[in-house]
Amino acid sequence: MTRTPQRPRTQPGGPRTGSGRARRALRVPAAPVLLAAVLALSACAAPDVEADEPLGDWSQIQEEARGQTVSLWMWGGDPQGNAYVDDVLAPAAAELGVTLRRVPVADTKEALNRILAERQAGRTDGEVDLVWVNGENFRTGRQAGAWRCGWTSALPNAEYLDPGDPLLGKDFGTDVDGCEAPWHKAQFTLVYDSAKVPEPPTTFEGVLDWAEANPGRFTYPAPPDFTGSVFVRQALYSVSGGHEDVPLQFDQDAYDRLTPPLWERLRELAPSLWREGRTYPRDSTALDELYAGGEVDMTMTYGPATLTSLVEKGTFPATTRVLPLEEGTVGNASFLAIPATSPDPEGAMVVANLAMSPEQQAAKAHPDVWGQFTVLDEQRLDPGQRAAFEALPDSPVVPPYPVLARGANPELAAAWVPAIDEGWRRNVLAAAR
Amino acid sequence: MTGGRRAGGQPGGRAGAVLVRGSLLLWFLLPLVPLVLWAAAERWSAPAVLPQRWGTAGWSAAAEAGAAPAFARSLLLGAAVAAIATPAGALAARALAHGLVHRSRLVSALLLAPVALPPFAVVMGLNVLLLRARVPALVGVVAVLVVAALPYTTYVLRVAYAGYDTSYEEEARLLGATPRAVWWRVRLPLLAPALAGAAFLAFLVGWSDYIVTVLIGGGRLVTYPLLIASAASGVGNEAVVAVLSLTSLLPPLALLLLAGASGLRGRGGRGRPSPAAAAAPAREVVVR
Repeated sequence: MTRTPQRPRTQPGGPRTGSGRARRALRVPAAPVLLAAVLALSACAAPDVEADEPLGDWSQIQEEARGQTVSLWMWGGDPQGNAYVDDVLAPAAAELGVTLRRVPVADTKEALNRILAERQAGRTDGEVDLVWVNGENFRTGRQAGAWRCGWTSALPNAEYLDPGDPLLGKDFGTDVDGCEAPWHKAQFTLVYDSAKVPEPPTTFEGVLDWAEANPGRFTYPAPPDFTGSVFVRQALYSVSGGHEDVPLQFDQDAYDRLTPPLWERLRELAPSLWREGRTYPRDSTALDELYAGGEVDMTMTYGPATLTSLVEKGTFPATTRVLPLEEGTVGNASFLAIPATSPDPEGAMVVANLAMSPEQQAAKAHPDVWGQFTVLDEQRLDPGQRAAFEALPDSPVVPPYPVLARGANPELAAAWVPAIDEGWRRNVLAAAR
Repeated sequence: MTGGRRAGGQPGGRAGAVLVRGSLLLWFLLPLVPLVLWAAAERWSAPAVLPQRWGTAGWSAAAEAGAAPAFARSLLLGAAVAAIATPAGALAARALAHGLVHRSRLVSALLLAPVALPPFAVVMGLNVLLLRARVPALVGVVAVLVVAALPYTTYVLRVAYAGYDTSYEEEARLLGATPRAVWWRVRLPLLAPALAGAAFLAFLVGWSDYIVTVLIGGGRLVTYPLLIASAASGVGNEAVVAVLSLTSLLPPLALLLLAGASGLRGRGGRGRPSPAAAAAPAREVVVR
């Protein structure tokens, strides 16, 4: 489940406050020696971390990687993902002489905060070696020079990737530039209960019409929740006449031209929503709970892979189905990035390469294992490798990725996201109050 | 609790006290009911009032997520914080209570400051300093948590020292006890309940911390709160979260019973207003 990208609540410059406080405290006459020492420590400039040093050829990297311990920081809210890393990926890494340690976090930006602090302190022996990341967190890290770059082309398994794949070249509009290796693909998906919606709509506008015809049975999470935010972007594509009509790179003119009809449409929709649109679920978890409790008939997710197990566990009704849209939905990929402060980049590269191997990608795509969609181009696989993907069982709930991703819409550049989230708050949420 | 005995004379007051205590108990226990049910549920989808299928899936999932080693790490962290913050708090409290420091108000305010400061902001700033000073991650975590625990230990022990009657020590000295014996056989037993209360609070600081452990610890220490927070950030993890949350109550509960027992012991026997009373604020803070 790709809930990884979350807008960092703290600014990259945040850690500076510490030294500022120390400086002020020094004016107190009785300031102890300790504070002076702290001041001296915080005053020395952080040396630049040389992130792009050449790493030698692959056999050399593999040799260096032996005996290294790689700490993989990843969002830990998906037990299947945790189990896959612990029980499948880590043992395979151990065979290559790399110890893989998973660090579960509640939010990926905690990994970023740690890396930025290490970077600010000029450390190159950091605690984070790999991060499961995309979108806003990746962009913030790039701006701060937090990632090691230009290493992914050295991975032997990169030959199975389609170099022209738009989802892998740009991560929410930010150039990937070899700063992160692809791991999964995800597709924004609307989900409905076929017992309650016997004739589901087939377009996004149709979904909004259905919501108006069935008052109180539909809602969406309030942006800046990740899923709510992508719903509003999908709505922007819909009211603008398709994703082709929205420039991927943010510009204020396009925003001023395209968003008023969007706000108009969403305001018009609001009275038909759950609780008359006076309030919205605070995040996708809250919406999922409403759906699981039968209070609404549709939900939405950026990680449809987990739907099968949610239905099996009984969290979602057995009649849960995916709602394909004629115009397609927004898709993205998530990646493994190596921080510039990692002391074990070779081990991290070996793990990233392993995670991208056809064997691991096929194992991970199995719904009983994790059900994450592959980033590989099946055309580039040999027949034996392709057979592993073809042998994957069909889910009664989720169609296979190629069906799901048909006509996939690209993600808007990360700079669009906060602008649209804020615009929604002012123009839609505020109007309801 | 001795309230019942005291109120014994007035039947109306007694009924009131029972009512208050009963509703307090309900207030604390009610939120635990869904947790207990979820911990034993394998399938519980709305609108069913009770789980449709019972089982131990949550327990095995918690074990698979590494609950046992994380539990042990959290216990160690809590114990380390308590072991440092309690004696340090006792020293500070003694100095403050006996007027051994100048500007004791300023010093008290400084000692209490960590309670008022938002931990996230403090940690973000401190982390860079600790990294620059090359303080090892684990040492950093314990050091920062000790500072966070000091306000509690200092406060509890300061109250104890304020009510501490030094004439017991003088009497023992007059009777020929060595300073060492006085320390061990008079002062420590008299302060024991307050020390237990303070150590309990310091333990809780280490036991329940998330942000310091994750950011300053740099992922070295995957503790119980890290597991709970990451599990709770996903959908459909109710059973695991319930199991982890319920088991996370066990150490504090066990310690509370222990501290309570030592508090009662301190209260009995001597028949005088004892430093045991100092343990009372500890409970209030916990309850909050």
